[in-house]
Amino acid sequence: MFDFLTHDMLAVIWFFLWCVIWGVYFIVDSFSLGAGLLAPFIATDKVQRIQIQRSVGPFWGGNEVWLILAAGGTFAAFPLVFSKMFTFLYLPMMLLLIGLVARGISVEYLHKEDNPQIQKVLTWGWFAGSLLISLVLGVASANFFKGLEIASGGVYKGTLLGLFGLYALIGGVLFVLMSVTSGALWINVKTEGAIAAKAGDLAKKSTPIVFVLVLVYLAYSFVGIEGFTTNYSATPALYLLPVFAVVAAVLAVFFAKKDKGFPAFCSNLLALLFVVQSGLASIYPYMLKSSVSLEHGIDIFEAASSHMTLSIMLGGALVFVPIVIIYQLWVYTLFKEKIKETEQVNY
Amino acid sequence: MVELLLLSRLQFAITVAFHFLFVPLTLGLALLVAGMETTYYKNKDETWRRMADFWGRVFKINFAIGLVTGLAMTFQFGTNWGAYAEFMGDVFGPPLAVEALLAFFLEGTFFGAWIFLDRSRQKLKAFSMWMVALGTNISSLWIITANGFMQNPVGYEMAADGSKVLMTDFFALLTNSYVWYMLVHTLLSAYLLTAFLIMGICAYHFLKRNNNEVFKKSFSIAVTIALATAVMLPVLGHGYAQYVAELQPAKGAAMDAIWETGSSVPMYLIQVPDSSTGSNSVQLLGIPGLASFLYTGSFSGTITGLNQLPQAELPPVGMVFWSFRLMTILGSLFIIEALLGLYLQKSGKLYTSDKYLKLLMWSIPLPYIAITAGWIVAEVGRQPWLVYGLLKTANGISSVPTSDVLLSVVLISAFYLILMVFEIYLIKKTVINATGVE
Repeated sequence: MFDFLTHDMLAVIWFFLWCVIWGVYFIVDSFSLGAGLLAPFIATDKVQRIQIQRSVGPFWGGNEVWLILAAGGTFAAFPLVFSKMFTFLYLPMMLLLIGLVARGISVEYLHKEDNPQIQKVLTWGWFAGSLLISLVLGVASANFFKGLEIASGGVYKGTLLGLFGLYALIGGVLFVLMSVTSGALWINVKTEGAIAAKAGDLAKKSTPIVFVLVLVYLAYSFVGIEGFTTNYSATPALYLLPVFAVVAAVLAVFFAKKDKGFPAFCSNLLALLFVVQSGLASIYPYMLKSSVSLEHGIDIFEAASSHMTLSIMLGGALVFVPIVIIYQLWVYTLFKEKIKETEQVNY
Repeated sequence: MVELLLLSRLQFAITVAFHFLFVPLTLGLALLVAGMETTYYKNKDETWRRMADFWGRVFKINFAIGLVTGLAMTFQFGTNWGAYAEFMGDVFGPPLAVEALLAFFLEGTFFGAWIFLDRSRQKLKAFSMWMVALGTNISSLWIITANGFMQNPVGYEMAADGSKVLMTDFFALLTNSYVWYMLVHTLLSAYLLTAFLIMGICAYHFLKRNNNEVFKKSFSIAVTIALATAVMLPVLGHGYAQYVAELQPAKGAAMDAIWETGSSVPMYLIQVPDSSTGSNSVQLLGIPGLASFLYTGSFSGTITGLNQLPQAELPPVGMVFWSFRLMTILGSLFIIEALLGLYLQKSGKLYTSDKYLKLLMWSIPLPYIAITAGWIVAEVGRQPWLVYGLLKTANGISSVPTSDVLLSVVLISAFYLILMVFEIYLIKKTVINATGVE
């Protein structure tokens, strides 16, 4: 299969797919993460909490699978990168794992338990899990763009504390706030009544902050991160990515102000997508960039699987990813009704 | 290094055992609940709706925890088994990625849809559950395909520098005979576990003299499945044992603690192996030639003993032997219990047979124990190999600070313990509370 493609070409295609899959995961999970981040704060009573929960309930599980696909795809297409990224970032990955389990269990069990005490614990579990996930993802991706401390011979010199530099912290805060905004706008779009209005107001306040942070983060990337501009100088068309990110962030502010929830929601997602892609575009051909010296990084050609594995996986992805997207979108249409305050809850 | 290896193995054992507590019930219950949803859609009989509701509630609690703890497995191939991931990625990665693409998306997407669709859209609700059932059962095929390579490597070649395996034939991975033996065995035992859990819960309600149609119907479905699977497991398991004995002689010989090569090897009903002397310290009640028959298909067949196999490549014999014994003893018990259940039900004495009902209640954990024991036979029996004949377990781990792994073992164990307590509390409450069932 795909014999007309060379191994290097397949590796490049897979790097592209890798960026797409991670990008999809970041945006589709952002609104369930945001809903979790907001749940303990903006819901004033049980009715509102259930509205928030029902706004993401049918979707979050399917969305999270994009993360498993991203991890599994990395394993299959770039085993060396899979091994090294999880080994180097051992503790952050464990934190991410605990965040994912805590979030999943909390959100699934929230509606199975009437005891107010336990509901409180689960609501906070949902919040803590969501915070951990978005923070770790933000900090980790900033470190990917900046480069990990990989010394000669592929030896990792980094420490846990060393991952939390200024750039990474901005990245972390940006991810958390973008998730919050995404969640607020989703609640605004999917629900009716007081909670929808409250979420809309919150987005009016958060979108300008996100816009400023996007600017700061991108500016820092281009000015303060070594080697960030190399690919951009070679291929100026790439500058469209950060430009799109900024434009989308501006549009999010604009639409949120005009109370146009859905366009604002989409703009915010695009801003997140293009921020991530701006960073990923800078590291190519490396997947694990080294901040010590470029040549110590792990590039896609070195990490890629065999021609056979890459082409089988490509065939599989080309057939099944569209099918997945179609039925996931179909499920969204099954729950297109807005969630009312008066609606009976029967599950 | 020794500590790191032990901790890495301990963490994997804890997370995979915990995850697998929830998987078999998911596999079985998804199909049953889907069937109930469809039956209700077709006949509009309220009993079937109540059955779908009741078992659906059990399914939700069980599925959620199985889903999230599955993430730990994917992560750990990188975090703790990095060297393994690099060695095996070309072959092992694709089944995992395909599993996500073909199975997890179906499960994750349609589980949410099934929960939140109400009964006014029964057709879609039933359809969603079928998709979940399809997803979970497809998932087992792919993960066993991945595991199958570790047990019986096929369709690969070594890289020129010997650093990793490269896939040469994807189709061979799928048609690996180990995969199909194991898939059938795993699915049957999952359905058996589901049937016994249902029978146990029904028994609880019969003991409370709560003999309503939901439990009566559920019981009669479950007892049929229990009997069918309990009988099929040893029948097919026999072929499986013979296959394993050929494929991995050390595992085969350890399963019955056969130390010396010989023909017409008897099987001892009472036997205590002792690795330090390389013999059995106790062996009584031998049935002549039975071990030979089980391993080779002929009562006079020759079996290679553990003492004649390479000593550096033997698994921990005691652990494999006792796990295998436990599994087979429990397997026999399941047949007796299922037969008894069917007889009592047909003769109408079931609802007053308190002793039998109590036995069923206390039998709920037994299939879990049997499955875990079976898993130990398969995975510990493969030791010291991680990938049979190609990579030793000791060479598969990540080089991470031992203290990091210690920390994560403690964190994960504590966290899983909390989850377990919570899960048992919820299941107990759901199962005992039959409101909506009456």
